[in-house]
Amino acid sequence: MSVFKARVKEFEDALAENEIDLSYLRQLCFNGIPDVKSLRPRCWKLLLGYLGTNRESWNETLTKKRALYRQFIEELVLPPGLKEAHTLDARNGCLNDHPLSEGAESAWNIFFNDNEFLLQIDKDVRRLCPDISFFQQPTEYPCDIVVNSNGERRLHQRVVPSVLKAANVERKGLGITKINLITKRSEETYEAMEEGQEAHWEVVQRILFLYAKLNPGQSYVQGMNEIVGPIYYVMASDPDPDYREHAEADCFFCFTALMAEVRDFFIKTLDDSEGGIKNMMKRLSQMLQERDLQIYEHLKSQELHPQYYSFRIQRDQILQNDFASNVKLLQNYPFMDINVVLSKAVSLSYENCFHPH
Amino acid sequence: MEDYKFLFKIVLVGNAGVGKTCLVRRFTQGLFPPGQGATIGVDFMIKTVEVDGDKIKLQIWDTAGQERFRSITQSYYRSAHALILVYDISCQPTFDCLPDWLREIQEYANCKVLKILVGNKTDRDDREIPTQIGEEFAKQHDMYFLETSAKEAENVERLFYEIAAELIDQARRKDGTSAVNKNSMDAIGLGSLGTKASQNSCCSGFNSNSNQCTS
Repeated sequence: MSVFKARVKEFEDALAENEIDLSYLRQLCFNGIPDVKSLRPRCWKLLLGYLGTNRESWNETLTKKRALYRQFIEELVLPPGLKEAHTLDARNGCLNDHPLSEGAESAWNIFFNDNEFLLQIDKDVRRLCPDISFFQQPTEYPCDIVVNSNGERRLHQRVVPSVLKAANVERKGLGITKINLITKRSEETYEAMEEGQEAHWEVVQRILFLYAKLNPGQSYVQGMNEIVGPIYYVMASDPDPDYREHAEADCFFCFTALMAEVRDFFIKTLDDSEGGIKNMMKRLSQMLQERDLQIYEHLKSQELHPQYYSFRIQRDQILQNDFASNVKLLQNYPFMDINVVLSKAVSLSYENCFHPH
Repeated sequence: MEDYKFLFKIVLVGNAGVGKTCLVRRFTQGLFPPGQGATIGVDFMIKTVEVDGDKIKLQIWDTAGQERFRSITQSYYRSAHALILVYDISCQPTFDCLPDWLREIQEYANCKVLKILVGNKTDRDDREIPTQIGEEFAKQHDMYFLETSAKEAENVERLFYEIAAELIDQARRKDGTSAVNKNSMDAIGLGSLGTKASQNSCCSGFNSNSNQCTS
């Protein structure tokens, strides 16, 4: 048996247990999950706690959660006109809700507030992972209540930018008028699909919108798109069609579980706190100072702050480069074996636990 | 950089309509909104208080009581330093559900989380749960107990200040190892995923490393 086949078998055996050993599975996954069968989406669901370790509980969990997600779409993804306006009006006996209402509970007011973060989501998902065409492609399993709603439940339709047509008019000496229609579009972004279809980016948009609606304290923050993207990609590429069909719901709950771990990085008021992003970067730069003074001093002398190098760094090149090339360099992810980075991270944190500074 | 000594996360849970949002708004904004609608998902507010001369930042997560939001609200339990479990003293069913809530807390929260039982709406004259019953329940389940009225602003300040004081005490007792002291530099959070797993067996939940980051 080849090494690869043996490795796949290890995964299959671990997943076949009635009661799955999560710490063993985590160990296996640490070195990467083979990209065959449904191994990766299955393992991610388990590691994120979406599926329990008891296989028998899976069917019930999935049925329940997927139905719940559908309920969220039905209730939260629709413009105010469609919502039966019985709740408020019947109770208070007041005038009907209207688009200019500023009441905190006005469906219209909520609608306009929602559109503010929706606009940001829209910008971010229309250029999600541009290296692959996946997100621009139509999904095999569009959400029926959305794609057959005459656009009413299509989120991006709420924030369609409207552009007035403009032209430059030049008049030359002999009475020749030259009209230059300005047709240049600012940036190329993903297009929406026709009625009855939807693209993967539209699905991701809905996931992020619902997350923001259901977590109003946190709402949407740029960067969440980069987290949800890969999860959705993995779920929606599951070779098992029974799972692939529910990629959206499954992704939503996996994303929710992951956000519970990293939430503080996405809350502005916590930036300076213990678990906040600024403090994390400060710790990183302190660690760099302790472990690699040369690069630390070099970055410091070029005034390259932790926020520039926290996410990507190529040591040797940085040492040789001047400021301008380094800024350029730090804007792109270097090609690297992520497992090397992760292993190093674990060994460093291990050292820190037992030899705290 | 804002100057405060500690940051604590407090999560309010309990049945729909017991007054969680009103308690939070009374405390953070000093108002009692009549006709407060049902909370969707999880919202949060921040208030900085001063205890013994120290500035303490309280981050208060207000959760929806409705069953259908449970899978969202659960994801907030684990990072909480304190959990306030609220029932309505004029509504027996909200008290009867307390054991279910405790199971939730047991399953999702850090095992060392500070738990406070709160009987809200003492302004109402149709009380169904005598104070003593609430008190006993709290005692049995190792929780602090307080009755409040968000409407009359009774005991609301006291509730949050006492929680703050107790959490400060806990943090001080743990001395420099406290994860809530923003100046401490010990290993926390995702950075240590995959290590130290054997130390904590008392907490369930998917991440076996849970206590080291929040306790």
